[in-house]
Amino acid sequence: MSAEIEISGLSKVFGQGAGAFHALSGIYLTIETGEFFTLLGPSGCGKTTLLRMIAGFEQPTAGTLRINGEEVAGKGPNARPVNTVFQNYALFPHMSVRDNIGFGLKMLGRPRAEVAATVDEMLRLVRMEAMATRKPSELSGGQQQRVALARALAPRPRVLLLDEPLSALDLKLRKEMQSELKRLQVETGITFVFVTHDQEEALTMSDRIAVMNAGRILQLGTPHEIYNTPSDRFVAGFIGDTNVLSLAVASSGVDGVTLAVPGAGTLPAASLDGLTLLVGQTVTAVVRPEQARLCPLAEADLTATLEQTVFFGTDTHLHLRLADGQGFILRRQNAADEVDPAPGDRLGLRLARGALRVLRD
Amino acid sequence: MAKGFDVRRLPGFASVALLTIALLYVPIVILVVFSFNDSISQSQWAGFSMRWYETAMNNATVRDVSIRSLWLAGVSAGFATVLATLAALGTTRVGRFPGQTMIYALINQPLMVPEIVTGIALLIVVAFVKVQTGYTGMGYMVLAHTAFCIPFAYLPIRARLETLDPNLEIAAADLYAGPVRAFWHITLPLLVPGIMAGFMLGFVTSLDTVVITEFVKSAGQETLPTYMLGQIRRSTTPEMNAVATLFLLLSLVFVTAFFLITRKRG
Amino acid sequence: MHSTRHGWKWLLSAPALVVLVLAASGPLLIVLVYSFLTPGNMGGVAWVPTGEAWFRVFFKRDLFEPDVITWNDANLMVLWRSVWLSLQTTVICAVLGFPTAWFIATRPPTNRPFWLFLITIPFWTNILIRTFAIQEMIRNNGTLNTLLDWLGLISAPLDLLFTDFAILLGMAYVFLPLMVLPLYAAMEKLDFRLVEAAYDLYASRRRALWHVILPMVKPGFIAGSILVFIPAIGSYVTPRVLGGGRTMMLGNLIALQFGQGRNWPLGAALSVMLLVIVTAALVLYLRTVSKESGGPRG
Repeated sequence: MSAEIEISGLSKVFGQGAGAFHALSGIYLTIETGEFFTLLGPSGCGKTTLLRMIAGFEQPTAGTLRINGEEVAGKGPNARPVNTVFQNYALFPHMSVRDNIGFGLKMLGRPRAEVAATVDEMLRLVRMEAMATRKPSELSGGQQQRVALARALAPRPRVLLLDEPLSALDLKLRKEMQSELKRLQVETGITFVFVTHDQEEALTMSDRIAVMNAGRILQLGTPHEIYNTPSDRFVAGFIGDTNVLSLAVASSGVDGVTLAVPGAGTLPAASLDGLTLLVGQTVTAVVRPEQARLCPLAEADLTATLEQTVFFGTDTHLHLRLADGQGFILRRQNAADEVDPAPGDRLGLRLARGALRVLRD
Repeated sequence: MAKGFDVRRLPGFASVALLTIALLYVPIVILVVFSFNDSISQSQWAGFSMRWYETAMNNATVRDVSIRSLWLAGVSAGFATVLATLAALGTTRVGRFPGQTMIYALINQPLMVPEIVTGIALLIVVAFVKVQTGYTGMGYMVLAHTAFCIPFAYLPIRARLETLDPNLEIAAADLYAGPVRAFWHITLPLLVPGIMAGFMLGFVTSLDTVVITEFVKSAGQETLPTYMLGQIRRSTTPEMNAVATLFLLLSLVFVTAFFLITRKRG
Repeated sequence: MHSTRHGWKWLLSAPALVVLVLAASGPLLIVLVYSFLTPGNMGGVAWVPTGEAWFRVFFKRDLFEPDVITWNDANLMVLWRSVWLSLQTTVICAVLGFPTAWFIATRPPTNRPFWLFLITIPFWTNILIRTFAIQEMIRNNGTLNTLLDWLGLISAPLDLLFTDFAILLGMAYVFLPLMVLPLYAAMEKLDFRLVEAAYDLYASRRRALWHVILPMVKPGFIAGSILVFIPAIGSYVTPRVLGGGRTMMLGNLIALQFGQGRNWPLGAALSVMLLVIVTAALVLYLRTVSKESGGPRG
């Protein structure tokens, strides 16, 4: 694989002086050719600004941006081999589906026959052959989404940018379009850069994810890495549900470290991320709700009191309180023969091996 | 069946409203009805006749002033629409810029200043320029009407422009269209309903303008409304009703067209 | 964020601005200048600066003893009549316009355009024609007197034409749509759940109207009042046709100075007066609006 997009020291500041807003600060990032790459973060984290800079709608304040090895700073969006699928599609309302899809090729001055052939191919690709003569207003949300995709793909860009393209769709359609997008990416082999605030969407579709907050990239990695080994508290909290615990180091030796919850038990810590811990020091550790299970009190790592159970259909969340007052949520698959414990019960918890991760704060 | 409690109902309001709307039409309807009266009376019905329409049609002055009014409205509204379109493009969706309030105030000034004041102000200027240049043509009228029509043409165009999704032009740029082609292929076609509505409003406005015309016109530049104003002072015959009815019909056509154009948007 | 990138764009409005300065704003400045000049013999002006025109707006000199100065009650009467008739017109329009706008705003959404259209037609019908229609109706041998006579309510025709009442009737008739449209716009946005809440909390119809509905549509009332008052105070056609020169408003007095009066500076001074009244009304309006909308934040 080779580098499609190389971003180095990229910053964007809106405004000047005291009121200046740093939308992006010092971004370094390489996106590989043919990759499904996702920028994930809460609104206002800078992910859309970064996307708009790759597209050419915003100019960076500092830093360099190369696409296919070529510096693109100063080039307008109409001079970059990059196309965008907009959040609300931005389909031209006065043009038919055909004319929308063919617009980019027409602007590039391609011969009429070639435009027609490519449009036909794109209509097939997104399965919209039957709708070719309709106007965007006569299409459903999902159909508009397909046209927007076809329109952006028709000029065969090196990179396709997708700005929260699924956020306007309802849940069922969103699931459908997720696999559709993945299929299109595999079929066309085009590099996809996808912006979303939906962590589940990011986890299911991406080859790699950059988690962003406050104008910085906090963690860069595969979905597995991001989920299983979050680098800090923000990433751990943003991706999936997580229990954040404040624990005291009980012992430190060659075979690892144990952490204690006063009155509730001690736990072996897994990954230390290269940290050196001293006995008595307080650390922050995270554990996913599905990585703990109930067990007899005698075998328990921790004991806790049940405060509330919340039913979710496929699973149930048990809201527990540890002896030192910290909350803990445990997720349990629902099975027909199981009886849920009652509020007030004292329960034993056992954590999966390697589940408890100490974070550097 | 018992009627439920309707929070939208206020007792007596519907009757007042229907009466008010009826009263809005009574004088106009009477005016129209007596244009078909087979007598010179404007209050005693003497049977249906088209004779006053015939009289009006055969009246060379009426024909003359009507043609002048239509010509003036077409030309002025045309100029005003072009200028207002440019102005709307220059002042809408551009963020704040220095002098913005000033520009808005200038554009909307003809709406705020009483027509009589604009009228005499133009009288003063036109009188001066006439003496200096000796030119007495329709140019003064066209300029005055164009200026007066600009805010009316500007409003619907700006309104239309404001509802346009700015992402459409960005999308066009993303799809390799330069600024000129993005404007030509995307912005302008989408702006057409607003521009048409602006032209209609400008046309009707020019057609209706009495006071400004009254003070700007030179000899032989009578328009339909100023002609009518002159005639109304004398005792009138149903010929005036016929002229007014035709005038009314023309306005109605334009207002209906405007209404349909602006409603279809979205 | 856009300002630098679009810095040149306002230039697109330059052609329109040139036309407006030439044929709208520029001439207004010249009016101000003319109000300080001396009247010419055959109309027009002599370029001799004086405050005489402004003096004559308010005062007059005795014909034989120029040192005896009295109020110019003829001018002041016209000024007073203009303001008074315009205020009355505004009130009449508000009283009739509120139920009308309410009626339209409470129709089913699909029917509203139809009712609105009924209001819009007169709005876009030439003021001259509408005034003419009123004149036809109220003249001595007009429809109204004929009808009243036929009903046996009057023995001699009522002398309605060329009175203040005729002007008031005409202005209320002509400017009513200008009140209904902004009121409707305000009512259309009204959240009826708030009215429901008022009734839920035991308000009577009258108190729901007074405490909930009226305060919420107040911006529409203010906008409508200004839209009626400004053209009313500047009326020329309606008082000319229905007042017939016997009873005048400011607009007619101004026109007179440029016609038979042959006193352009006085006409210019009266025009500036009219502009001052209009500006005062506008400033009052803008103040009220900014206070209404800026209250909680300010």
